[in-house]
Amino acid sequence: MAKKKTTTAKTARMAKLNARDKKTLNSLVGMADDVERFASRGRAPHIEIPSRSLSNVKYNKSRKIIEMGSSKNKRELFNLSQARTYMQTLLVGSGCKQLIEQGKTTSIRGLYYLLKHTIEGTREETFVDQGDCDPVIEDVEVALNALREELHVYASNRGAMVGNIVVNDNGDEIDCSRMGSGGYAIPSIVEEEVMQFVSCKADFVLHVEKDTVWRRFNEDKFWQTHNCILTHGNGQPPRGVRRLLNRLNNELNLPVLCLLDNDPWGYYIYSVIKQGSINLAYESKRMAIPGARFIGLRSIDYERCDLNPSVTIKLTDNDIKRANQIANYPWFEPKKRWQKEIKKLLSNGFKLEVEALISKDISYVTEEYVPARLADQDFLD
Amino acid sequence: MAANQRSISVSEFFAKNRHLLGFDNPRKALLTTVKEAVDNSLDACEEAGIIPEIWVEIIQVKENRFEVSIQDNGPGILKKQIPLIFGKLLYGSKFHRLRMSRGQQGIGISAAGMYGMLTTGKPVKIVSKISIRKPAHYYEVQIDTKTNNPEILNGRGNGLDIPAGEKGRNIMESKKIQWNSFYPATEDEEPQEVRSGTRVTIELEAKHQRGRGSVDEYLEQTAIANPHVTLHYRDPDQEWRTYGRATEELPPEPKEIKPHPYGVEMGRLVTMLKEMKEGTISQFLTQSFTRVSPAVARRICEGAGISTRAGVKKIGRDEADKIYHAIQETKIKAPSTDCISPIGEDLLIKGLHQVVPAEFYVAATRPPSVYRGNPFQVEVALAYGGQSVVQKVSAEVLDQLLDQTDSRTIRQFLVNTFDGIGNDAADKIIKEADFGSRQSPTKLNAEQRETLHHAMRNVKLSDGQGIQVYRYANRVPLQFKMRDCAITQTVMGTNWRSYGLSQSRGNLPSGPVTLMVHLASVWVPFTSESKEAIAAYPEIEKEIRLALQAVGRKLGLFLKRRQKVKQEGERRSVFMRYLAEVAGAVSDLNGSDREEIHSNLLRVANRVTKVADTKFDESGNKIQEEESFGDNVLIVEQGDPEEALKQRLLEGNPQQKLF
Ligand SMILES: Nc1ncnc2c1ncn2[C@@H]1O[C@H](COP(=O)(O)OP(=O)(O)OP(=O)(O)O)[C@@H](O)[C@H]1O
Ligand SMILES: [Mg+2]
Repeated sequence: MAKKKTTTAKTARMAKLNARDKKTLNSLVGMADDVERFASRGRAPHIEIPSRSLSNVKYNKSRKIIEMGSSKNKRELFNLSQARTYMQTLLVGSGCKQLIEQGKTTSIRGLYYLLKHTIEGTREETFVDQGDCDPVIEDVEVALNALREELHVYASNRGAMVGNIVVNDNGDEIDCSRMGSGGYAIPSIVEEEVMQFVSCKADFVLHVEKDTVWRRFNEDKFWQTHNCILTHGNGQPPRGVRRLLNRLNNELNLPVLCLLDNDPWGYYIYSVIKQGSINLAYESKRMAIPGARFIGLRSIDYERCDLNPSVTIKLTDNDIKRANQIANYPWFEPKKRWQKEIKKLLSNGFKLEVEALISKDISYVTEEYVPARLADQDFLD
Repeated sequence: MAANQRSISVSEFFAKNRHLLGFDNPRKALLTTVKEAVDNSLDACEEAGIIPEIWVEIIQVKENRFEVSIQDNGPGILKKQIPLIFGKLLYGSKFHRLRMSRGQQGIGISAAGMYGMLTTGKPVKIVSKISIRKPAHYYEVQIDTKTNNPEILNGRGNGLDIPAGEKGRNIMESKKIQWNSFYPATEDEEPQEVRSGTRVTIELEAKHQRGRGSVDEYLEQTAIANPHVTLHYRDPDQEWRTYGRATEELPPEPKEIKPHPYGVEMGRLVTMLKEMKEGTISQFLTQSFTRVSPAVARRICEGAGISTRAGVKKIGRDEADKIYHAIQETKIKAPSTDCISPIGEDLLIKGLHQVVPAEFYVAATRPPSVYRGNPFQVEVALAYGGQSVVQKVSAEVLDQLLDQTDSRTIRQFLVNTFDGIGNDAADKIIKEADFGSRQSPTKLNAEQRETLHHAMRNVKLSDGQGIQVYRYANRVPLQFKMRDCAITQTVMGTNWRSYGLSQSRGNLPSGPVTLMVHLASVWVPFTSESKEAIAAYPEIEKEIRLALQAVGRKLGLFLKRRQKVKQEGERRSVFMRYLAEVAGAVSDLNGSDREEIHSNLLRVANRVTKVADTKFDESGNKIQEEESFGDNVLIVEQGDPEEALKQRLLEGNPQQKLF
């Protein structure tokens, strides 16, 4: 009896592995083999991690996305400033192996808790907080050239979708036109294996920055009147949202239009959606949407929409610095309209949130602002 | 006026000028008495080729009165010489010769006896025995201060003869004559009989106080510089303490040499000429001095304008003066220097290690050199690290010290009592204890005493701790007139910062350092008769400086390396912390043996931390081969000081050696 129990437990632990999992496991084991080999020869082990800094990203002009360069950093165990992260890297590796073998996935927060403990004989924690763990997970991704979902880890869900599309999520068919006021929560893994597009009638995707704005559009049934898909990413969109937008654009040929705040942060979100992020440059080819367009808000909207001065927010020093940085990004630099846009923002000296349009009328944004831009096809590239 | 003129006896003169001989105050009188006797004992033993064993016993007779006895196992003194040695000033065997010895003037012990007599009226008591079979002699001697002649008080002016063996021991017992007939028993041997020796007992007005300038300090420092000596000390509390010898080997016998012409003073030259009964001036010069060949003698005579064949009888004051000046003008070879017997680097370290607990010891003995025609040799030993005396003091001893002190403030008490405590360190302790600076040490209540004790242990002194300089002349510690001494001045004039110690310009450096500097010479140039400080001859200062630099360089090397080791250890501990985690993760990932990986990684960590640190120095330059310390360095692994302390408390013996 007891024996049987153990065997079931064991089979439960060892889930069936698909080819992708096997490949990931192999590279994880390879990482450990390296350490073993070095140690047995009395040599100091290290892990090579592609550098994720700005200096190691290039803008690929023809593909119009940010790509990671080839420079790598050595992470050494016997280096005072790297010993701790080295240990953390291996811990993350062993945590992912556990997940893969058990056929489970967990959030980055879950992995953090899985690996967090006090180092024996010290008062030091393996990971102090989530922020101590997240970059290490990204390191493991790039070091093994594995996607996050291949490691069975996902980021927390953020972002929602409604509109004229039906998807199959892990076996469940979901009609996104019948999702009520909350919408369909976009999962963090939206790869083909997990999510398939069943049918789509929509003509385009409208991505808005924030939940609050998205609710306005959903309540006003904008996606019905304009036959589109409505998404938001709660600020900087998480990978699941970006990947979904990418698939909608790539596979269903839906244009992606973005409605973001008129401030450097809004510009940056647009830049990430369009070209990819510096931090996750290795994911650009799956995530970036070079054809995305920027609807607004624009710096000219204060005058164009005749807004009340009280809805403006003064630019901070940091905003000014960021705006200048963004203007100098190689993918913004040659775009005259963007340069004008940013220059105007700086000369305005203030920023505008999408919500500012409410001062005109509650539904001004859904009934006047966006329809007008759509009618004129007035977008920034 | 003329009627008032009369000659003054030497004894009378010194009775009025005690301070010249080191009897300025009762506390110092006690020390000087012990010192003169012990120095004599050591001289006598070494000259006779006997490994010295010395007993020092101090008994408090009443307040401010002590009886001091010093016994040695030396050759003893011939019966007829005893009264002269102990009852006549300026009688000795060492003045008229040039040979390295502790005593040189022939004043020491008789002055101590005279001081005792003047303050207590008691005679000096001497027991002396020259062979195991021959009778011992017992004398009670007094000095007639007017005539500078001895008076024998016992045996109707003849002293007392004590037969050898059991019979004699019984007589001594019945007459209350003190004499240690046997060496202390060892574990596997019957006590051995003391075959010969001298015991001198002096009763004197004195004051006993521990700390700087004390008998304790003198004995401890003597033990350091004389590692071939065993010293038994019974202090006024009747506690016995023994400084055991670190070697059975006697120092090589110093050779007696003739004086060198450059070293002779005008007055001495005249005396020497007078002593020479016949012969020519050339004969006088070649026979009386070293390095004077007939050719050199001729050149001196030419310079003085005197015929080489002139008879010494005819040389008057004027001619002597001319000869004296001619000597200074003539080029004469330096004397041979093989007449000095230094302690040697090995024994310096042994001796220092025996008495001063430290982490690092280094010694340097310079080759002999010459000042004013006198051969001399300088050696230096240095001990670094270890605990400071204040931190070792037990509560009971602190109580005693507080009871005995005559310092008016706690600050004064700390500075005067403990070596290595300067004003800064004292202030730190006072601040820690939260006392007023004017607080009197004697008025502290029990609770305050505890607070003080606590503060002394807890204040970190190593930063501000002044170094201790032990000065020696011919193996005798110099305990006073520190500032006037060429040794101290040279230590202060040396740049210790380049060797890793902190030092403000022109001061002693600070740090947990004990420095001993030994000047050995056939004639030590003291600044005064009390033999407390060495006069500053440039040749001597130069040799001291070179010796200091030699040990300083090695100290610097040690400190640098220790710093490196510390950094290395810190680095290593960072790595060590993560190795088990890494090994665990690797084993989880590829199923390898966790222990094996861990131990392999540990090995790499050890190697890496060694190599990584020796490869580059602070400025990132590659370090060549590790420079070796060379000989004459001793490094003592340091245990956990707190553990050592606990151990000592467990043993119930916190009151070991203190000063
Ligand atoms: N314990 C002793 N054993 C044998 N001889 C001794 C002893 N003590 C003294 N003497 C002899 O007595 C002499 C006189 O001693 P004293 O201390 O008075 O003078 P010193 O040692 O020659 O010179 P100094 O005045 O510098 O001490 C010594 O030179 C030595 O020959
Ligand atoms: Mg003497």
